[in-house]
Amino acid sequence: MAERRVLLAGADERDLTQLAEYRAIGGYQGVEKARAMTPDELIAELEKAILRGRGGAGFPMGRKASLIDRKSAKPKYLVVNADESEPGAFKDREVMAKVPHRLIEGCLIAAHAIESRNVFIYIRGEYLTEYEILAGAVAEAREAGIFGDVDITVHRGAGAYICGEETALLESLEGKRGQPRPRPPFPPIQGLYMAPTQINNVCTIATVPVILEIGAEEFAKTGVPSSPGTAIFSVSGNVARPGNYELDLGTPMRELIYEHAGGIADGRELKAVIPGGSSVPALTPDQIDVPLDYDSLGAIGTFFGAASLIVVDDRCCMVQLAIRSTKFYAHESCGKCTPCRVGTRWMVQILESIENGTASHADLELLDSVGDNILGKVLCALGEFAVYPVSSYLHKWRDEFVAHIEHGGCPFEGSSSLEGILAPSDQHAHTPAGQEALV
Amino acid sequence: MSTPELVRVTIDERDVHVPKGTGIVETALAAGVEIPVFCYEPRLGAPIGACRMCLVEVEGTPKLQTGCTLTAQDGMVVKTARTSERAAQGQNGTLEFILVNHPLDCPVCDKGGECPLQDLTFRYGPGNTRMSFEKLTFEKPIPISPTISLDRERCILCYRCTRFSEGVSEDGQLVAANRGAMSVITTFEDLPYTGAFTGNVTELCPVGALLPTQYRFEGRPWEIVDVPTVCGLCPVGCNINATVREGKVKRILSRNHFEVDEGWICDKGRFAFTHLRAEDRLTQPLQRVRRHGLEAVSWEQAVDEAARLLREARGRIVTVLSGSETVEQAYALAKLLRVGLDSHQAMLPEEISGALDAYRLPLSAIREADVVVVLGDVPVVERAPVVDLWIKSARRNGAKVVDDTNDPAVPEAERVVLVWSGPGGRGGATVAKLAEKLGLAGRDGCGAFYLPETPNGRGVADAWAACCDDEGEAVQSIGLLVVSGDEAAADENVRALAEQAETTIVVSMYGGLAAGWADLLLPGTSYLERDGTFVNLEGRLQRLRRTVEPPCLDELDWISQLAARFDVGVAPYPAAVFAEVSERVYGGLAFGDVGERAPLRFYPDAQEHVGRESLPEPQQKARRGEIRLVAYKPLFSGAAVERTAELQFQRPQPELEISAGDARRRKLASGDFATVGSNGSAITLPVRVNRRLRDGIARVALEHASGLGGIVEIAKAEEVPA
Repeated sequence: MAERRVLLAGADERDLTQLAEYRAIGGYQGVEKARAMTPDELIAELEKAILRGRGGAGFPMGRKASLIDRKSAKPKYLVVNADESEPGAFKDREVMAKVPHRLIEGCLIAAHAIESRNVFIYIRGEYLTEYEILAGAVAEAREAGIFGDVDITVHRGAGAYICGEETALLESLEGKRGQPRPRPPFPPIQGLYMAPTQINNVCTIATVPVILEIGAEEFAKTGVPSSPGTAIFSVSGNVARPGNYELDLGTPMRELIYEHAGGIADGRELKAVIPGGSSVPALTPDQIDVPLDYDSLGAIGTFFGAASLIVVDDRCCMVQLAIRSTKFYAHESCGKCTPCRVGTRWMVQILESIENGTASHADLELLDSVGDNILGKVLCALGEFAVYPVSSYLHKWRDEFVAHIEHGGCPFEGSSSLEGILAPSDQHAHTPAGQEALV
Repeated sequence: MSTPELVRVTIDERDVHVPKGTGIVETALAAGVEIPVFCYEPRLGAPIGACRMCLVEVEGTPKLQTGCTLTAQDGMVVKTARTSERAAQGQNGTLEFILVNHPLDCPVCDKGGECPLQDLTFRYGPGNTRMSFEKLTFEKPIPISPTISLDRERCILCYRCTRFSEGVSEDGQLVAANRGAMSVITTFEDLPYTGAFTGNVTELCPVGALLPTQYRFEGRPWEIVDVPTVCGLCPVGCNINATVREGKVKRILSRNHFEVDEGWICDKGRFAFTHLRAEDRLTQPLQRVRRHGLEAVSWEQAVDEAARLLREARGRIVTVLSGSETVEQAYALAKLLRVGLDSHQAMLPEEISGALDAYRLPLSAIREADVVVVLGDVPVVERAPVVDLWIKSARRNGAKVVDDTNDPAVPEAERVVLVWSGPGGRGGATVAKLAEKLGLAGRDGCGAFYLPETPNGRGVADAWAACCDDEGEAVQSIGLLVVSGDEAAADENVRALAEQAETTIVVSMYGGLAAGWADLLLPGTSYLERDGTFVNLEGRLQRLRRTVEPPCLDELDWISQLAARFDVGVAPYPAAVFAEVSERVYGGLAFGDVGERAPLRFYPDAQEHVGRESLPEPQQKARRGEIRLVAYKPLFSGAAVERTAELQFQRPQPELEISAGDARRRKLASGDFATVGSNGSAITLPVRVNRRLRDGIARVALEHASGLGGIVEIAKAEEVPA
C-alpha cells in the first residue's frame, strides 16, 4: 500500500509554508466551519473522531478538550507540545517545516473548542529552521486576520528533554526551571498559570483540520476503529530509506520497514525494532507483523509512543545499545525525583560494568531490581523511559548479557556497530548551531 | 466560618475521621501511623512529591502514590509500608537510592544524631548497600555565606532550601543548577546567600548538607542541651532553643510557636549569640578613680559605691532604660529608684501605647487577612523581621498588601490588619487611632500592630509604671544618671545627657560603650543569660530562661542588694519579682504559668497602671517636592551584631534608597552617586532606585546617615568619591 498523505497532503506539490498556497488547497476553511459551531458541538465532533494523542500517551484529543473547565473564570490555554526530543522521533519537525498552517489552523479550531484566546506553541530549542518557518507562518496568518480574538505565541525551549513532559513544559513556559509537577491537579483543571490548559502534540493538532474537512464520521472510518486516521512514522536506524512515512494506523510494521523504508540496509539481518522512540520496549523480528496502532502494540507489551521506529540490525550489541539509551535518560533526568535522578546513573554504571567485563551474574538481577525500583515510583515517565527499553533488552536478549559476563567483556570484540541508531548523548549540542543568530 | 466536612479514611486498617482535604501524611499521623518524608514540609507551600519516601498504596489506584501530595477523600483506603508489600518495596527502593551517593559520614557530620536521614535509615533502611561503584563527589564544604556551609555530597536534593528561598523568604537566591545526578544546590551566580532569614535553611535541611558554620564540630547530640527560651533581639520574641554545651551557647534554633514565628527566625537571632563571648565583654565592675580612669573593683565595692552615688542624688536621679530589660529587672530597678529613692523620672526609647490593646491579634492572623495595610517607611524586615514573613505569606495567601488606609480595598475587606513600621507612630497610638477610624475593634480577624524599636519596651514600661503611683516632680538638674543596658549606652543623646549629669552609673555588657563617661560601670547580662519575662509586639507575655550562667553578677542580684540598703524589699529571684508585677499588671498570673509557648492573654486590669499619654509626633512633614530622609536602624546592627564576625557581610551597604519619581526628577539612576544634605552638612552615597518607595521619602541605614535626617536636599553628585 502506498503512503496516504493527510497531514502532509499537498506538501510535495506546493510550498504550503505560504498562506496563499495553503488557502489554495482549501486551507483555513476548517476554522470557519468550526467557528460556525458552538464549542460543545465542536467538542462532540472531535470526540466522535477518536483522534488519539500522537505525542505518545494516545489519550483521545476530544475527550481531553471536554475535561477543560470552560466555566472557570480564569483564561483557558491551549498549549502545543512541539518539544519533540525523543530519540528517533522527527515527525513534528516535518509538519512544522512543511505544513505550518495546518498546525496553526488546528490550533485555532482547538482554541475555539475550549474557548481559549491564548495558544502557546512550545518548540524544541534546537529546531531553529522549523521555528523560523512556523513563526513566519504565524505572523502571516495573524496579519491576514485569520486569528480573530485568538493569539498564538511560539516559544522556544532551551535544550531540555524533560520539557517535553507536559507539566515540565508548563513550568518552563512560566519561566521556571523545567521540572514536572505532581499530578493531580491535572492540566485541564490547573495547568498554565494555574488555569485550565489543554496540551496536545503537534501531529494531533495538525490532524484537527482534517477532521473538520471530511467530518468526524468519515475520519473515524479510516485507520482502525480504535485508532482512526493516519500517523506520520519516523523510521531511523539500519534501514535502506530512513525517513517519515504517513500511513493509516493499523498498517503492519513489516510493511513499513520492508516496503516503505526499503528493508534492512546492505542485506543484513533485522535484530530488533524499538517502535515508539527510544523509550519503549523493543520487539524481536518475529513480532513485526503487528499492526501499527495503539492497542495492537500495547497488546504485545510495548507502546505506540511517538510513532518512531528505530530499526536495529544484527551488528548491534544490545548492551552497548542499552548504555547509549540509558546515558541519554540519565543525562536528561531533571533531577527532581530521587529514583530517576539516582537510578538512571546507577543503571549506566551497572551496564558499563557488564560491557567492560567487571560485572557478575548478580549484577543482571541488580539491573532488573534497580529498574523495578524506578518503575511506578517516579514523578513523571522519564525514569520509566530509561527502564522500559533496557528491561526489554535484558529479557529478550538475555543470552547476550550473560555472554558479556561469561566472556569477561563484550563478545562482539569491537565488531558491534551502533551506526545510525540513536546519537550518543555527548553529541547533544546544548547550543545548537545558529542559536547565536537569534540572540 | 463553616466547619469543614469530615471524611473517613482508612490507614493501615485503622479508620480515622479528618476534615476533607487534610494531607495524607497528617491523616496517617491522626491514625497513629508514621509516613516518612524528606521533601514534604507544609510550611514551604504545596507539596512537590520529589523525594518519593512517602510512597503508599491507595485502593483503586494501580500505581503507588506519594502520601504527601494526596489529600483525604471520603472512603479512601491507604496502605503504608507497614501493611503493603508494594509500598514497602517502593520505600526501601527509594531509601536505597537516597543513600546511593550519600557519603554516610555520620561520625564526622554535625547533623549526626539529629538527622532525619539517619533516623529514617535506621528505622526503614536496608542494613547494607548494593551500590559498589564510585559515589558522586563534589568539592566540599562550600561556604555559601560566612554563616552557612554546603556539603553537596550529603545533599539528597529535597529542594526544601530552594523552596524556602523562593516561596517563604522570597529572596530567590538559592537555586538548583544542572540536571539529573549532577544537580546541585547553589546560590544565584555563586554570590553569598544574604538576607534576613538565610539560616532557616540549615534547620530545614533534613541531612547534613546545609549547616551553620558556627556549629561546625562544636558538639554532638549527647553532649548538648537545648534550653527553650525567647529571642531578645527584636520585639517579635521568636521562640527559640539555645543549644548549650558545657556552659556555652553553641547554636540557636527555632522553636516553632505557630502564632508568633511559625518556626522561622532571623539571622540576627540565630547567629548573633557569639556576642556572649565578645572580647570586650565586661565581667567585673569598673569604677572611675580620679586621674587613673576606670579601675576594676569587687562587687562589694561596686555596690557600696553605687549606694553612695544613689544616696547623694536622692530625688535627682534620672533613669534611661533600653527596653531590653526583662519585666522583672525593670520592676526591680523601678522599685529601688522610685520607692527607695523617690526618683520617678525615667526615659524609655519610646512610649508604648496601651491604646493598641483593643486591636490585639496573634501575628499569625496576618496570614488570614484579606487586606494588610503596611504603614510607615521603615522596612518591616529591619524592625521585626518575622512580621515581614507573615506579610509575605498573607500576600501569597491572596491578601492585598497596601500602604494606605484609604486604599479602595480596605472598606471592601472583611479582615483588615494594620502594621505600623515607623518611624514615629507615638508608640502605636497613631495606628490605634487609624484602626478606630476604620472600625476594626471587635471585628473578627481585624487588628493592628505597632512595631516598636525595642524588644521589651512594653514590658519595661508596664513594670516601671506599675511599681508606684507617685509621679514625683520633674528633675531640674540631674544628680545621677542611671543608664540601663547597651542600647541606651550606645545612644548619642544619652551620652549628651550624661555630660549634664553630675555622676553616671552605666549597666552595659561591653566596656567600649561607656568607658569614656561612666563613673561606675556595672557589667550587664544578655537575654540568653536571664530568667524572666518579655512582652512582645503582640502584647504577648513570654518566658525567658537562663540558658547559661552570666560571667558576672545578675542584675537582679545587685539591685536586690542595693534595695536592701534603702529599706526596699526586692527579691533576687525573677519568680518573686514577677509575682509582684503580675499582681498589678498581669492578673496575678504565676511565673510558672507563663508557658513554654505562651498564649496571647488579655489583661483587662493592665490599662489603669500603664495608662500614659504619648508625646506628640515630632515629625517634619515633607511638602510637595521635598524629600524626607528616613534613617532607619537596620536589622543587622547593634552591639551584638557588631561583635559577631560572621555577620559583618550582612550589614547594610552605604546606599541611598530613593523613589522612582524622585529619582527621575533628579536624573538619578541606580548606581549613580547623590549628595544628601541638610543644615549645611552633606554626604555622598550611591543611589538605589526603589520602586516601592513613596515619592518624598528617601531611606538610608542609620549608620550611613552621618546624623542626617528630616527634610534633605538630594542632588546628583558632581564628583564620585574614590
